[in-house]
Formats: sequence, structure tokens, C-alpha cells
Amino acid sequence: MTRVNAELLKTVEASGEFNAVACMNCGTCTALCPLGLTNLPREIFRDVVLGLEEKVLANVETVFSCLLCRMCQVNCPAEVKIADNVRTLRVHLNKTLHHL
Amino acid sequence: MKPETQSRIGIYVCHCGGNISDYVDVAQVAAAVAQEPGVTISRTHMFTCSDAAQQEIIKDIQEQKLNGLVIASCSPKLHMYTFRAMAERAGVNPYQYVQVNLREQDSWAHTHHRDEATRKGIALVKAGIAKSRLSEPLVPLRVNTKPRVLVVGGGVTGLKTALALSDLGIAVDVVERSERLGGWVADWKKLYPTGQDGQALVAELEQALAQRANIKVHTQAKVTGRSGNLGDFTIRIRTPQGEQDLNVGALVMATGFAAYAPLPQEFGFGLPGVVTLPELKKSLSRGEPLQTSDGRPVKTLAFIYCVGSRQKKTAAQPQVNTHCSRTCCTAAAHLGLNLTGAYPALRQYHLYRDVRTYGKHELIFGENREKGAVYVRFDEKEPPVVSTEGAQLRVKVKDTLTRREELEIAADLVVLVTGMLPRENAELINILKVPVDRNGFFKEIHPKLRPVETVMDGLFIAGAAQSPRLIGEAVSSALAAVSKCGALLKKGYVDLEPMIAVVKTDKCTGCNACLGVCPYQAIEKTVCDGRDQVTVIPFSCKGCGACVPLCPENALDVKGYTDEQMTAAITALAQEAAV
Amino acid sequence: MAFPIRHLIGILADNQRLRGSVMPLGTGRLTAWAKGLSLPRGGSRVIYTGHMYQMMPSLASMEAGLGLMADTPVTRLMGWGRFFNRFVNLSFFLTWPSGRQQAQYDLRLKKIAQSLRQAGIQFGYLYEKELYTGALVYDLGLDEVFKKHAQRVWAMFQKHGVRSVITVDPHTTEMLREVYPKVVPGFQLEVKSYLEVLAESGWTPPQALTEAVTLHDSCIYARTLQVSAQPRAVLAKGPLVDSPDHAGAATHCCGGPAESLYPHKAETVAAERINQLAARGCDTVAVLCPICLHNLEKAGRARGIRVKDFSEIIG
Ligand SMILES: Cc1cc2nc3c(=O)[nH]c(=O)nc-3n(C[C@H](O)[C@H](O)[C@H](O)COP(=O)(O)OP(=O)(O)OC[C@H]3O[C@@H](n4cnc5c(N)ncnc54)[C@H](O)[C@@H]3O)c2cc1C
Ligand code: SF4
Ligand code: SF4
Ligand code: SF4
Repeated sequence: MTRVNAELLKTVEASGEFNAVACMNCGTCTALCPLGLTNLPREIFRDVVLGLEEKVLANVETVFSCLLCRMCQVNCPAEVKIADNVRTLRVHLNKTLHHL
Repeated sequence: MKPETQSRIGIYVCHCGGNISDYVDVAQVAAAVAQEPGVTISRTHMFTCSDAAQQEIIKDIQEQKLNGLVIASCSPKLHMYTFRAMAERAGVNPYQYVQVNLREQDSWAHTHHRDEATRKGIALVKAGIAKSRLSEPLVPLRVNTKPRVLVVGGGVTGLKTALALSDLGIAVDVVERSERLGGWVADWKKLYPTGQDGQALVAELEQALAQRANIKVHTQAKVTGRSGNLGDFTIRIRTPQGEQDLNVGALVMATGFAAYAPLPQEFGFGLPGVVTLPELKKSLSRGEPLQTSDGRPVKTLAFIYCVGSRQKKTAAQPQVNTHCSRTCCTAAAHLGLNLTGAYPALRQYHLYRDVRTYGKHELIFGENREKGAVYVRFDEKEPPVVSTEGAQLRVKVKDTLTRREELEIAADLVVLVTGMLPRENAELINILKVPVDRNGFFKEIHPKLRPVETVMDGLFIAGAAQSPRLIGEAVSSALAAVSKCGALLKKGYVDLEPMIAVVKTDKCTGCNACLGVCPYQAIEKTVCDGRDQVTVIPFSCKGCGACVPLCPENALDVKGYTDEQMTAAITALAQEAAV
Repeated sequence: MAFPIRHLIGILADNQRLRGSVMPLGTGRLTAWAKGLSLPRGGSRVIYTGHMYQMMPSLASMEAGLGLMADTPVTRLMGWGRFFNRFVNLSFFLTWPSGRQQAQYDLRLKKIAQSLRQAGIQFGYLYEKELYTGALVYDLGLDEVFKKHAQRVWAMFQKHGVRSVITVDPHTTEMLREVYPKVVPGFQLEVKSYLEVLAESGWTPPQALTEAVTLHDSCIYARTLQVSAQPRAVLAKGPLVDSPDHAGAATHCCGGPAESLYPHKAETVAAERINQLAARGCDTVAVLCPICLHNLEKAGRARGIRVKDFSEIIG
């Protein structure tokens, strides 16, 4: 059982562009990702949106391995700026986890 | 009855290009029946329905003075009206034409048995001849129609129906059960997709109504009785002023919908802070602020979708609403969006099964997500559970979009997105015999091609009473019903099929065995020559024949399909089979 | 144990902050390619290398080093490494690129400049004043470091009166064209890649090219900057240009961006891409970006595919 918490999303949003709430979970991004990342971006985005912080922290490697190649972004039907969001998550993690 | 010797029947056996003649020897069929009593001429054609063939047949009819016609071709569904019209042009009574289905009932069914198929073809045509010999000329029944329509229900659908009928010069009576007009829409402010004010919309319709001399509105009124038939109904209504009879040519049913009322404890219904979507929409439309049951501002709002819709039958709940209410996904997203506008810090969680914001409403769904509403998808087998912890509501839900993570949302208000059901209207349905579907919505004859007509001639349906609908969709169906009323009433009369039941007054004993069986209530008790009997209301009877076999005295017949004709046809078939 | 990426990112951040680049190289190294070209110093329009070509050999050898260290006790010492790196330029010791490799990358830059000249384009060069754009720190989400650096770069452009740049790789182009205007107040610069400049000028390679190539589009050029028709236009009269299944806006990444943190993942993606390119049946692949070049070159070797920079095809 995890308590839904809106604070995480607020702090991430403070780190830059983050429009993952618009995601409709169609799965296009997962299907197209050349890295075959299954939990990036949409699952991690949801973890952020719902405030499941441990899940986000368990996936730092995934967040940093994204190629920012935008294959997903240009094909997202909900116009989620996926790669930009991933970068924003990196900014957030660098600040809060890596203290950089 | 006509003596057989007077029959001068023409037989036309069709190749149907090969559809028939590839398997049935049509020349043999034509030759085999040529000598039957009453047959004057017997021919074949490649395509009987072609203009050239029809010209030849018309020539035969006129030269040979034919008075009966048997065409052995395709299904009557395809060409009965074609050949009836041809018969009429040639001067033969169209009801003395008999179509024998040699294609669907013979050649296509017996592609591997040519000889047998030909033998069956001969038998079928002989049966047709037997029926034709006993046929009588019939004339269509003409009803003089009343240029007036009764609209039941004064919601947006009913009001729009009334105005559009009035535009056509048809007078209207609107019967509204409550004391005010407008239905649900009169309770609401902002409506999608235009953002228009519902109350203003109703006011606009009412204003237009007041300008029309040919519309009469009866509020606090109910329908208490019905008699008559298509084109000429008499409907009794009761208002606080008393009872009155309205003589109308057609009826439009626009009685709208009721919101599903959740059962106690269903998704926490009954707990403080658990409300339904229509309740919340009404309260916000009254200008009340968004607040918790004890008057605190709402910070987190959870919607639970599909409440009372798309239910699955279980042993515990055999009577369920299986339909999707269609409008609620959009209604909830739209309300959410308006609330974000009014309370930007509000957090919203939308717990849904599937999002059905069809067509243009997808934009509302998209905008709601973009503005921050979080959608959580649950599995119907594991629905959300609502409980309280002090003043706080807790909603537990397994989110299928995050590996079925079990989430708990601390909410200040839980909104149950309840579905649309038909309004309780058992009495009305019984009086007017409105057909309903399994969820209780009014049922059309054909959902695609005859969407506002019912099996009751002259009774049309429109709006949310027929299925869950938005205003625009409800109004579209209202206008469709108006056009059907116009087509029916503007000519001043309507011709009906004469193939209806008749009572042989010498045989009927008035036992009333047939009374209850007629699906159209076309049989009535009567007194004839001082004896109790029944009579058939010609304009109500559809000639379905349900009453005929029930009569112990054989006192009922359907014109065009009399017992005598059917017996003769069957005998001819049986004789041929025995050969 | 995987690499503690926190320390790796830390080292890159410190390099960028203290030494102005993720891979600090001496100015001699950075400008060596321009020797003998006698490019005018500065001017309002300059060629802008962004140091990407120059850095590739060093990055490559650093990765090789890291690849060896991965999953060894050394990884645990990364924290110390980062501590020392603040005072001593560790990359200087860590990376010993081969001179031959450096010369190859320099030659590619030279060919780009020569093609531009043949096309009649006038431009200068900022030599040792030119700065790295900070593409990697931006991608890694080191926004504070990046923003400060971007200010420095803008000040440099202003100081030297540069109004228009011709870039040579997609990452630098994206930074200057898409990112800088968003983070640097008042930033204004005309930014065009040499591919765009050549295509606009109508120039085509003078010597007859006969060898067929399969063209690999760069993700950033194709998807972010809408540059994919231009290289094809330049080669219109030249060799047969073939495109793989995933081309243009649907191009498949070379895997390069994962290289600095997750070399193994980068290899897998590169192998997949080389398979797609090789499936066309042509054994030369042309690329538009030094990162693609480096990453696909390695993967191509195993498949007998030659990977060439676009500059080598045209010059
Ligand atoms: C929460 C919610 C939000 C909605 N929001 C929107 C929106 O934003 N935009 C939109 O387009 N649509 C919306 N809708 C749908 C809209 O409410 C319906 O399309 C509309 O009300 C249909 O009108 P109607 O006249 O068919 O039915 P109703 O509004 O139900 O009117 C029926 C009328 O018939 C009367 N009646 C019933 N039985 C009898 C009887 N036996 N005799 C006499 N009178 C009778 C009733 O008293 C009532 O006045 C929403 C629906 C819901 C549930
Ligand atoms: S493609 Fe876009 S909408 Fe679809 S799952 Fe990915 S982020 Fe969500
Ligand atoms: S941008 Fe990242 S998540 Fe998107 S397709 Fe490329 S590698 Fe995958
Ligand atoms: S419209 Fe949406 S909420 Fe309403 S019943 Fe259908 S799926 Fe459920």
C-alpha cells in the first residue's frame, strides 16, 4: 500500500518542464524505445505523478540511461515532452539525490 | 370466393442470370405448370425484374386479359414491391400477385441436387398457383391523419421537438409531468462542449415556445389513456385542471433519463463527503462552493467512474445495468476542468475503468490531463474501496497502469460518476405500449436505418429516453422524429397494407381467446347482431396472424393469407411431393 | 557493482565548472585541425566546432579505461577520484588517445572547412577563444553548472562580435539553436549546420563519387532540427545514397548518448543499428555526427561495415 502524494510532482515540476500528467498510457513510447526500456518513460512518470518516491529512486539508472533520442517524444499522441521530462527528472535527481 | 374457372393466371419463371437456372431447369418448371387449371400463359425470363421483361409481362396481361400473376424468382423482400407496381400499371390488382421464392428457397439451397431442385421448383410454383387462384383483389386502407402531435416530456428534447414541429405547421401538445420545463438541463450551468449555461438554454427555448400559437404546454400533466391508431389517436391526459382528450396524428416520447442512485455503502455511498456527479453539478450550479461535508475547502478530490453502468451480472445481483452511460466520462472530465479553473490548487484523481470521451470530447479529456488531473485505471474485478479515517476519506485502488500498485488516496470529497437510466415510467409504457430494451430504454425498430420509429406505428422516440445522450445528440434525434412526423402527417392521409385480420361474424362466438394475444392491441370486444363478438381495428392490425391459430372456431383470417389459400397451397405442395 | 554514476556525473560537473569542459583539452589540441587553412581570426560569421570532434578520441579512450574498471574494486574509489579531480585534471591522466585517431578527427574538421570554402562561403574561426557548449552537462541534467557556462559562452560571442555561426555537429547545433535561447537572456545568434549551409548554396562535391553509401540520420538532426533532406541534397549528384528502414524522423539512435555512463547499453543499441544499416547490403555507412561516428565505427568493425563521416564522403 502506498499513499498517493502530490508533493513529489510539485518538486519535480520546480526543476523544469514536466508534462507527464498528460500521458494517457498508450504505450507507444515503450514500443519505440531503442533501449527497450520498459519502465521508462511512462511507468516512472506515473510514479512521479502519484508520488511513489521509492519507485523513482529504484530506477535512477534507467533515468540516466535514456538516450534523449526523442523517438518516443515525436511519436507521443498526447504530446508529452518525454525526453525533456526525462531531463527534468535528471535535474531533480541530481539536486535531491546526488547533491550536485 | 372466386370460382376457379375464371382465373386467368400468368406464370413467369426467372433464370436470375443463372442464380436459379444453374441448378433448376426453369424451362422444365414453366412447362410442367403450363397445364394447371387457371393458367393462361407460362414463360421464362433471364431477368424478370428487367424493364424489357416487365414490358413483356404487361403486354401479356393486357392481351391475354390476365387477372392473376405468379412470378417464380427471388425473395419477395427484394422485388415484391417492384412486381406489385408492375401489376398495378398493367391493371391487375397488386394483391393478386404471388411471388414464389425459387432462389433462396430452392436453387441456392440445393446446389448439389439439380433434379430434385427442379422437382421442388415445380411443387413451389404449383403451390403459388393454388394460392393465386383463390386470391381476392384488395385495396390499401386509407387513414386521414390529424395534423397534431403529442410530445411526452418537456426536457430539451421535448421542447426542441415541439418548436420544430411548429415550424412545419404541425400543432403540438407538450405533456410535462413536473411543474417546470427543461428536464435536467434546467438544473445546470456550464455545459460542454460550448461552455453554455444550461439554464439560459432552457430559458431560450421557453421564450421561443411562448411565441408559438400552435404549441400548447401542459405541466403537472400525465397520460392516462389511449385509443385510436396511427394518424388518429385520442390521448387522455390529466392535469390539475382536470382530464381532457387530445386528438393527435402521432406521438413523440421524450421522457428523458434518471440518474443512477447508488446503493447504501456502494463505493462508500452514505459516508459524509461521498456525493454523486449530478448532485455535485447541481450544487455547483446553484453557486455553492466546493467544500467537504463539514464545510472545509476541498484540497483533494477523487472521482470513481462507471458507478451503476457497465455492471456484470452476478448471482447476488441478477438485475444489472449493462450499458455504458456514455456521457459521464466526459461530464466528469468537464467538471474537473471547470474546477481546476476555479480552484487551481485542487488535486484531482479520476479512477476509471475505460475512458469513453468519444469524438470531439477527447479534447476535454486531454485538456483535463494536461491541466494536472491524474487518471488511475482500475480493474472492474478489483474496484476501489472507500472508507473513512476521522474526517478524512480514504480511497484504496489498484492502479493497473503502475504494475497494479495498491494506492491509497486521502480525499476530501469522493464523487461517484453515476450513469444514466431511463426514468421510472411503467404506467406510461403500459398505456402507450412503448417497446423497451433490456435496460429499460425505449427501443427503435432498427438502430441504424429506422432510429426513431418503433414497432407501434405513429409512435416515435427521441432523446435520452432512448439511450444515454448528450444534448446535441438528443436534439438530433428530436429533429429526426419531427421529420418522421412531418412525413406521416403533412400529406393528410396514409395508406396502410390491407393484409389484416378479419373476423367471420358468422363463426365468432365471442369466447375472447384471441383478445390477449395481439401485440398491437388491435382486437376489441364488440356486439354484433346482439351477440358478443370481437372485431379487428383495421388501422392497428399489422396482419401478423398471431390471433388466427388461437381461434377455436376458425373465425379469424388474414386477408391475402386466408386459411383456404394456405390449405390449397399446402395441398398442392403435398401432392407434388407424393409424385 | 555498476558504476556509481553519482561520482561520474560529479567528475563531469566539476570539469565543466572548473575547466570549462567535460573533457578539458589543451588549446593546441583543440585548434590543431585548423593548421594550414589560414582561416581568418574571428569575424561576424564563424565556423563553430564546439570541440565535439576534438573530444571524441579522448572520450573513447576514457571509456575504454572505464570499461576495464567496471565491476572491479576500483569503482569504489570513484568518490576519491572525484575528490582529487577537483585539484588535478584526472582526465589528463586517464586518457591517452592515440595520435592517429586524433589526426583522423582533425582531418574531418578540415574537410568540412574546405568544402565550405569551395562552396564560396566566407567565415572565420575563433581558435582558442572558442568554447564547448556544455551539451553533455545539459543532457545529464546539471542545470546550474550548465546555465553558468552558457552565460560565459554568450559573453564570448558578444565580445568577439559573432552574429552567425556554422556548426559542424548536431549537438552543438541543438544547444545554440534550441537550448541557449531558452536559458540565456537576450541570446541571439544565427545558427546553421554546415549541412544546411552547403545544401542552401547548391554546392555538390566536385570530384566524381562512385561509391554507394547508406546514410545514418542523427536523432537530433532528424527529429529536433529537421535536418535530413540537406545531406541527401548535397549528395544528389554523387554516390547512390540509400536509407535504412529507420531513416529521417524515424531514425534509430546509435546508442552514443549512453556511452559516458552505460557503455554496455550503448554497445547493444549500436549493434542493433549496425544490423539495420548492414541489411541494406552496402558496406559503407555515412554518419553526420562525431558521436554516431565513434559509436557505430566500433559496432561496424565486427560486421565488416566501414563507417565514414559525411565530410569524408564529400571531401
Ligand atoms: C452529470 C451529467 C452532466 C451532463 N452534462 C452535459 C453537458 O455538459 N452537455 C450536454 O450536451 N449534455 C450533458 N448531459 C446530458 C443531458 O443532461 C441530456 O442530454 C439531456 O438532459 C437530455 O434531455 P431530455 O429532454 O432527453 O431528457 P430530460 O432532461 O431527462 O428531460 C425529460 C423530461 O421528461 C419529463 N418526463 C419524464 N417522464 C414523463 C412522463 N411520463 N410524462 C410527462 N413528462 C415526463 C421529465 O420530467 C423531464 O422534464 C449530462 C448528463 C449528466 C448525467
Ligand atoms: S507515448 Fe506518450 S501518451 Fe503514450 S504512454 Fe508514452 S508518454 Fe504516455
Ligand atoms: S528518448 Fe529515451 S525513453 Fe525515449 S525512445 Fe529515446 S532512449 Fe527511449
Ligand atoms: S461514459 Fe465512462 S464513466 Fe460513464 S459508464 Fe461509460 S465508461 Fe463508465
